Amino acid sequence: MAKPIENLKKIKNEAIQDLIKNGLLSSTRIYIGMSTCEIAAGSKEIWNAFEKEINEKGIKDVQLKQKGCEGRCNLEPTVEVLQTGKIPFKYVNVDGEMVQEIVNRHLVSNDAEYGTRRDNMMTDPFMLTDRSKFILGDVDFFSKQKRITLRNCGIIDPDSMDDYLSVRGYEALAKVLEKYSTEKVADEIEKSGLRGRGGGGFPTGLKWKLVAKEQSAEKYVICNADEGDPGAFMDRSALEGDPHIVVEGMIIAGYAIGAKKGFVYIRAEYPLAIERLRKAIKDAKKYGFLGKNILGTNFDFDIELVLGAGAFVCGEETALIHSIEGNRGTPNTKPPYPAVSGLWGKPTLINNVETFANIAVIILDGYESFASIGTQASKGTKVFALAGKINNSGLIEVPMGISLKEIIYDIGGGIKNGKKFKAVLTGGPSGGCIPEQFLETPVDYDSLKALGSIMGSGGMIVLDEDDCMIDIARYFLEFTQNESCGKCTPCREGTRRMLELLTKITAGKGEEEDIEKLERLANLIKKTALCGLGQSAPNPVLTTIKYFRDEYTAHVKYKKCPAVVCKGIISSPCQHACLLGGSGAPSYIGLIAQEKIDKALTLLYHENPLPVICGRVCHHPCETKCRRGKIDDSIKIRELKRFLTDYGIENKIQAKPVIKAQKNKKVAVIGSGPSGLTCSYYLALEGYSVTIFEKLSVAGGMLAVAIPEYRLPKNLLNHEIDNILKLGIELKLNTDIGKDVKFEDLKRDFDAIFVAAGAQKGLKLGIPGEDSEGIIDAVDLLRDINMGNKVNIGENVAVIGGGNAAIDALRTINRLGKKVKLLYRRTKDEMPAWEEEVNEALKEGIDIEFLVAPVKVIAVKGKITGLECIKMELGDIDKSGRRKPVPIPGSEFIIEIDTLVPAISQEPDIESIAGGNGLKLSRWKTIEVHPETMYAGEEKVFAGGDVVSGPGTVTQAMADGKAAAKMIDKFIRGEELIMQYEVTKPAAEVELLEMTDEEIESLKRFKMPMLEAEERKNNFKETELGFSRYQAVCEAKHCLRCDKEDKG
Amino acid sequence: MSSNITIKVNNKEYQVENDQTVMQALDKIGFHIPRLCYHPKLSIEGACRICIVEVEGAANYVTSCTAKVVEGMKIKTNSAELRKVRRDILELLLDNHPEDCNICERDGNCELQGLSRTIGIKKKHFSGEKNVHTIDMSSPSMTRDPSKCVLCGRCVRLCSEIQGVNAINFANRGFNSEIMTAYNAPISESVCINCGQCITVCPTAALSEKYHTVELFKELSNNSKTKIVQIAPAVRAAIGEAFGLEPGINLEKKLVAALRKLGFDLVFDTQFSADLTIMEEGYEFLERVTTGGVLPMITSCSPAWIKYAEQFHSDILPNISTCKSPMSMMSSVLKTYYAKKSNIDPKDIYSVAIMPCTAKKYEAARDELNLDGNRLTDAVVTTREIAWMIKSAGIDLLNIEGEEFDNLFGYSSGAAAIFGVTGGVMEAALRTAYELYVGETIIDIEFTELRGFKGIKEATVKMGDKEIRVAVSHGLGNANTIIDMIKKDPQRYHFIEIMSCPGGCINGGGQPYPAGSGYIALDEELMKKRAAVLYDIDRGKTIRRSHENPEIQRIYKEFFERPLGPKSHKILHTHYDKKYPEGIYRK
Repeated sequence: MAKPIENLKKIKNEAIQDLIKNGLLSSTRIYIGMSTCEIAAGSKEIWNAFEKEINEKGIKDVQLKQKGCEGRCNLEPTVEVLQTGKIPFKYVNVDGEMVQEIVNRHLVSNDAEYGTRRDNMMTDPFMLTDRSKFILGDVDFFSKQKRITLRNCGIIDPDSMDDYLSVRGYEALAKVLEKYSTEKVADEIEKSGLRGRGGGGFPTGLKWKLVAKEQSAEKYVICNADEGDPGAFMDRSALEGDPHIVVEGMIIAGYAIGAKKGFVYIRAEYPLAIERLRKAIKDAKKYGFLGKNILGTNFDFDIELVLGAGAFVCGEETALIHSIEGNRGTPNTKPPYPAVSGLWGKPTLINNVETFANIAVIILDGYESFASIGTQASKGTKVFALAGKINNSGLIEVPMGISLKEIIYDIGGGIKNGKKFKAVLTGGPSGGCIPEQFLETPVDYDSLKALGSIMGSGGMIVLDEDDCMIDIARYFLEFTQNESCGKCTPCREGTRRMLELLTKITAGKGEEEDIEKLERLANLIKKTALCGLGQSAPNPVLTTIKYFRDEYTAHVKYKKCPAVVCKGIISSPCQHACLLGGSGAPSYIGLIAQEKIDKALTLLYHENPLPVICGRVCHHPCETKCRRGKIDDSIKIRELKRFLTDYGIENKIQAKPVIKAQKNKKVAVIGSGPSGLTCSYYLALEGYSVTIFEKLSVAGGMLAVAIPEYRLPKNLLNHEIDNILKLGIELKLNTDIGKDVKFEDLKRDFDAIFVAAGAQKGLKLGIPGEDSEGIIDAVDLLRDINMGNKVNIGENVAVIGGGNAAIDALRTINRLGKKVKLLYRRTKDEMPAWEEEVNEALKEGIDIEFLVAPVKVIAVKGKITGLECIKMELGDIDKSGRRKPVPIPGSEFIIEIDTLVPAISQEPDIESIAGGNGLKLSRWKTIEVHPETMYAGEEKVFAGGDVVSGPGTVTQAMADGKAAAKMIDKFIRGEELIMQYEVTKPAAEVELLEMTDEEIESLKRFKMPMLEAEERKNNFKETELGFSRYQAVCEAKHCLRCDKEDKG
Repeated sequence: MSSNITIKVNNKEYQVENDQTVMQALDKIGFHIPRLCYHPKLSIEGACRICIVEVEGAANYVTSCTAKVVEGMKIKTNSAELRKVRRDILELLLDNHPEDCNICERDGNCELQGLSRTIGIKKKHFSGEKNVHTIDMSSPSMTRDPSKCVLCGRCVRLCSEIQGVNAINFANRGFNSEIMTAYNAPISESVCINCGQCITVCPTAALSEKYHTVELFKELSNNSKTKIVQIAPAVRAAIGEAFGLEPGINLEKKLVAALRKLGFDLVFDTQFSADLTIMEEGYEFLERVTTGGVLPMITSCSPAWIKYAEQFHSDILPNISTCKSPMSMMSSVLKTYYAKKSNIDPKDIYSVAIMPCTAKKYEAARDELNLDGNRLTDAVVTTREIAWMIKSAGIDLLNIEGEEFDNLFGYSSGAAAIFGVTGGVMEAALRTAYELYVGETIIDIEFTELRGFKGIKEATVKMGDKEIRVAVSHGLGNANTIIDMIKKDPQRYHFIEIMSCPGGCINGGGQPYPAGSGYIALDEELMKKRAAVLYDIDRGKTIRRSHENPEIQRIYKEFFERPLGPKSHKILHTHYDKKYPEGIYRK
């Protein structure tokens, strides 16, 4: 009677003796990550450096050992130092210099101390109670993980049989050989609930039983290691980190189904995994775990490696079988399934690497233990390759049922660079894009399928606001299209047509019917393709259409790529991001670089009716999307624009707009803010007689009354307004429509009306005591100050809010010599105000308290004396993609103030216009208009700017005015009100300045010159001084000129 | 085991046999599901997805060619949704097809075109880029235009499964998938044996013969040459199909008349030279038997078989009869005996052969067959080509008066006619050899065990003191089996007939497309009808043995003196060498 367990014990004892003999207990062991990814990060050099250092110093009793990957891509190379009787140390992002220091600390001076986590010399004060957790170190990343298949990865030396034996290696094999019937093995696996990890999710135990019941002298076990998803690398890492676990799983499978031969089909692009696997198989043979009479029983099993040429379709089991047989790797229609007729027509079991890696632990710990992890229908854990726009990219293993949110935010550490999450793609090119609203979805086979995606083999790619969903769909379809075997019509031809449609859409040539065509083709392919590759290839397209249809519509109808990615639509990102739709940025920047300043200015005047204003107060989305910013710093487009206008004013260069012949048609514009001015400008150019009605005694709307003098000097604002009025526009100040002039009269006397009355009424905080004396809204305060009115504020002021109005109020009050602080309920990262404005405020010595919210006003005799506040903390992600502030109970505190300035938001105040005039108001009291034509649904009436959108940006208001002008022209001409959209084109063809990289690098880049904080904080002088010509030219020369890039 | 099960088709119950595919069951019930890559004589591919049906409970549509019927199966064959999907799949094929029907050879008998009408494609939705490939004109026999290929793979399976040649296979991936030769070599440098069977299963004009019609029309108006044409036996048995007639009608006489109307000066019958072949081949066989020559002897009439042997089995080349084929023998006597007799410079004879075969074009171009450095056969056109030429020239084939062949080489025995069907050459040879060897006339003249379409047929003939074991195979896959047998057991047979095409010449690669007559390629019913024409000719002749043909007797008397004599050796025999397909390996 054979005794496998006893035989294994003997082998293990010998192994332990070997280990001890080799200094397990006495020496220092330095583990160095030696997986493909670690080697790519430089671990071979680290290894050599350690060898050199140790040799040179003549240190004895040190072993250098390799280890596999623990999954933390961004921290590689990693090194661990284990010394008997001492707490282990872990080092990440190790470089040559650190090697010397590590050797010195641990082996020379022996004064190694713990540093803090996440610095380069990271160590963790954990005891050896849970070895893997300790070795793995960083808890945040690992605490929500559960490592079963990866349990030894990054822990043991993958090439060492002794190491594997020391972690219960081959015990499961011995156990089944001695104690289990073949039926019982499959039974255990079935009861564990393990499902195929290659993506299909077929119950593994059931599959084993199906093959086991086939009557055949020859059967085969195949391990599918043909990992091919872009972004997926778990099979490689597992094989590189712990090859024996897969070998052991395969042998057990062979025993269970009655096979004597196994194949590992692995792609030839994985040389290190192949090398490790080869060694593992060789060693397993040497130790009697493979070959004849395994562990003394009469069970024989052998494993052979077959190298695949890297065709994605060969991951499909029938194609894989054809490939092993030496034929073209194309799939067959199933049935027959490989379980019945597989390799060379014999019953064949095919499982994925990860599936086999689960077997030993199920056998050892019992199915109950495994089945206790996960959800009802998806048991155990799943390994994912977490990639994309995520802070902690890497390889993770999580219990089934964990939410996507936990994976992305808790394990992945959230989105890179504080960007907004957009979608997560699971299942690689066969999967789907899951949007934010489903982030709570538990990760299991069926939930993901219900969303139109799949578990797949475990690729998980996180996408953020800078990813265009159509571009992503196109990328993955291009992949499947290239990898289609070409056998069946729908996949071969259909995916190409889909790719063509997507390419057409991303090139800005899409038509609305193309989206339906895409859906039709996608459903066709899904339902008729021969194999899984084809059937799942449309998933990225179907899910993006389902969840991001508005992005498709944006591309197809509005010729907009919201993520500013699609070259064919955007021309250059800065220009596309500009709300004015064609700011001409790359063109005038190109001209500045060539020092053709006059030409650049002419171009700017042509593209922008308010360049002086935009050069100072535009929120510059162009810079946010600037490609240069992805390399180092965005081109300072606003500053360059300002430079041009400064140059123009200094040299008295005027814009020379061309006005068309007078049409004898009259348009009334209500409000002289940026929207009204822009609309008037474009209408005047078309030859209309425009009259602007302004309620206040000054023109400019919020530009004049809300933006402080130190940001936008009044003389410059008036210069710009004068330029517009010069086109023959009549301005009627102090005219309140509804009071001074009736709206009906306007309707009677004018051919069209554009309502651009703005939104100036401050919103209430909604806390008790808000009607007390000493509370003044930021907009009211700024208006009074701007207009030179007397303001009544105390000496101790608090401003509440996080937007630009709050910062403007804050800095203005500070300039008045009052004590002022800002209270904001989130952190600086979440502030909607411009970062540079906030920084300047801080430089001016202003106090900002973050994570604080007001609770109630404390007043004495109706006059404010203080404010009760509560501290906040950041909780879960909310709809805006930011972490939601939540109050900390019991953290209330009181601050003493005599003036409170709420600056949270504004709403329009247009009762007098809207009342009884048929204009529809939204619940935010804004005017409802057709979003494309700005038509207000009432004869002759259009509206735009803040009165429609609520408090917005200057450029949004200008864009509305521009669109309204176009539509008003159509309206008066009696044409249909349809907005035609076009892809962004360069405003002018400006030649690229030929410069070498060195020449560009040698040019300095400058910050906007500013008044020093001391010089400005007590006055209203303009703080920004503007670029000099030299500075501007240097800056412009750094522009990448995306408009000249190939549109492909 | 076959028993009856109940299935529901479009909500009506039917009893069908189990152990068959859904398509087979539906065919029997009377629902012909549109199909493309499926071919009943080839393995199931399941690639085109045209033959999908809806099966209740299945997640996706089911290809009826691959799925088996099961008890209680509920099938829908024609729902609106299914029709739309099937339409869209076909459109995808059309979108990547030149769609130049009006200038296409297969216009009117193209399966793709037929499907488009059946399925009802009126409007295109997904048009886009088309794959454009260069046309491979390298082969003397055939032309390959991958732009027209719909990748059904029938040619690949035929070449592999029936012919065992594997000249072509799929290459590249996805939209770039293409069927090509090894290393994408020109066909002429591949192992292709020119049999043209792939042409007969191709649903489009991706594969077709290399046309000689334009040159031939030109030569026919060249008055300085004597234009002589010969007609192979199988041509007369099938050409009617190209004119819309039922298969199985002999159009020999009308064809002769039509060829004269086309402009040929003389119309001879390849059946005459078939008799000549039997004389030479019969004597050669007897010589080998009596003098201890290399046995078994294998026939040499099928040029595709010759190339096959030269490429894949060069060790058995000595077994192959050195006799030229009947076509080449005719051309040989035209440019020697006839030229001399008529006092014409052989260079002024334009010798044309009308053949059911594409490989004959290759044969005509073989340097081994040149006589004194000159081509023997100047042009070979297939049955399809000549049918087109007759139509194109406005000749009303069906209604003209039939005419007789010209004298000298116009008469043939019944034995010669059956050359065109598998087993015929063997039967003809045995009729003559028996008499020559035994010295008395064979009574039971029809060797029924050598007839029919079984892949390999065997017979034993008692010739006096000798038991002659013979075998017949058709389709080169079967030839390979026989060759493997004789390599193992050289004594097994004395004489073997090998025809490259399944069914023999009646089913040659140059015969009319069966699609025109409602049959499908490789259909045995069709082959039977064509074979019947030849067997009827045989039965209708008073002279049914080659050596009894008076014209044969005259040519030996006047010119060759005796079979296997020095003159016939020079003019009627040839030699074979190992061939190295240059696209794969060089000598």
